[in-house]
Amino acid sequence: MKHAVISCLHANLSAVEAVLADIDQQEIETITCLGDLVGYGPQPNEVVELIRDRKIETCQGCWDEDIIDGLDACDCSYPSQLAERRGHMAHQWTTEKLTDENKEFLASLPTSIRRGRSFFVHGSPNSQHEYLLPDMDAFAALERVEMSGADTLFCGHTHLPYVRELGNGSIRVNIKNASDREREDTRMTLPIRRIVNAGSVGEPRHGGVNATYVIHNDIKNDVEIREVAYDIDRTCEAIIEAGLPHVFAWRLRNGFEFAELAEDASHVCER
Amino acid sequence: MIERWALLSGLMGDLETYELIQKDLKNTRGDITLFVLGDVVGPDKNCDALLNRLVNPHRGDLKPNCIYGWWEEQLLAESGYRGERKADALRLNKGDDAVTALMNAVDPYYLGWISSLQFGFVELDCGLIHGSSKDVGDILTMQTPPLTLLDRITRLNVNRLFTARSKQQFHLELTDAVVDSKVKDLNGKRNQEHTLPKRAVIGIGAGANYTLYDVGSDQTHFLTVGDMTKSRGKGFA
Repeated sequence: MKHAVISCLHANLSAVEAVLADIDQQEIETITCLGDLVGYGPQPNEVVELIRDRKIETCQGCWDEDIIDGLDACDCSYPSQLAERRGHMAHQWTTEKLTDENKEFLASLPTSIRRGRSFFVHGSPNSQHEYLLPDMDAFAALERVEMSGADTLFCGHTHLPYVRELGNGSIRVNIKNASDREREDTRMTLPIRRIVNAGSVGEPRHGGVNATYVIHNDIKNDVEIREVAYDIDRTCEAIIEAGLPHVFAWRLRNGFEFAELAEDASHVCER
Repeated sequence: MIERWALLSGLMGDLETYELIQKDLKNTRGDITLFVLGDVVGPDKNCDALLNRLVNPHRGDLKPNCIYGWWEEQLLAESGYRGERKADALRLNKGDDAVTALMNAVDPYYLGWISSLQFGFVELDCGLIHGSSKDVGDILTMQTPPLTLLDRITRLNVNRLFTARSKQQFHLELTDAVVDSKVKDLNGKRNQEHTLPKRAVIGIGAGANYTLYDVGSDQTHFLTVGDMTKSRGKGFA
């Protein structure tokens, strides 16, 4: 059985339509969405309504949460004050444009979905704002999957699609306690786990301009990262027409999303 | 001069025990720094005398370096120092009576001092904290999974984490950690073996049970009030 996982749609209708059309040609059984339906892009209502119409099971992203609850992350979300100012402009614009019905839909989304031995979140099991980057500390990455109680953790938020398998792990634990002065020494095998990041449909940050998503084949237990071309000009024109910062269009057109990576991606937002 | 840290927690208003520990430490050789890792207040007895002693140490006392613990967090929350949050965890676990008892056990005069306490200290490559780097209420024990312990250490970017919340005394070392990582992305595949240098989590105990740490040799000594007096000339004196 094949499952598609999409994430970080960011109100980019043209990209969402192209990805869903690609999924429809792949004999996909289910689609799961990891949130961030809105933010940055010019078609928040259209994208939310498309997801609702297709009845795609979705968990809440950090942008979806912020639209409902207000901006509550600390300054970890942005790499610079300029980026933060632009982000806040997009937040305000989206809040004004989004219908009450669509806001209610975003508010109703769960923060995680569990399906068998798979766990689906936007950022990490810790927080919708935490980035699980492909090269983060391997032991911390393993801990994030373990805390979800799953074999495979599906996430988004970084906008970088990847599959990371963690295995052949072990650690020696040596304990001295107060009552027993003798040390206890054991070697423990660490579990084999996997993180799958679906990348981003509406705001790719992999250095190219194509939308990305992943297909999980649970019979073969493999994961395919798919790139999908879409009508970028249509989205860029809509961004300009909407009065959103022009840099959002420039980034999509040139695949320059690396400029918006958080500096300290290992930081866990405490708010 | 041997550099040593004395680490204690969980006094919960018990001035007598604090005085006995101070007495023990006077009999201990070395250049000693005293760290009090929270839970100096509690609901069971009036805490004002102990708080007064911590704020105004007697002549000859080792000066205490204090952080706040779980009970101080509950007290501060209930007293309006944590925004809209109240002592929900305490109320949930022990009921309204415990919240009332805690509020009655501390004179509001001391709230300003308690609210000025830090979440933890980072000394050399060690984190000194009440619970963990994740939360003041986080309980780390000898049974906590190694990956969780590594995560709490990594979050503080230290090699050793001293914790008090479990009330247990233990020195747990994590060594020879290794894991293989295989990443596939749009640029292809790459494999890497990850290893970690030695890390440790030290449970310092609570109340009459406290810990001495020899900074130079990385040795911990788990003590109970009176041990120093009994062992003069033998062990740590």
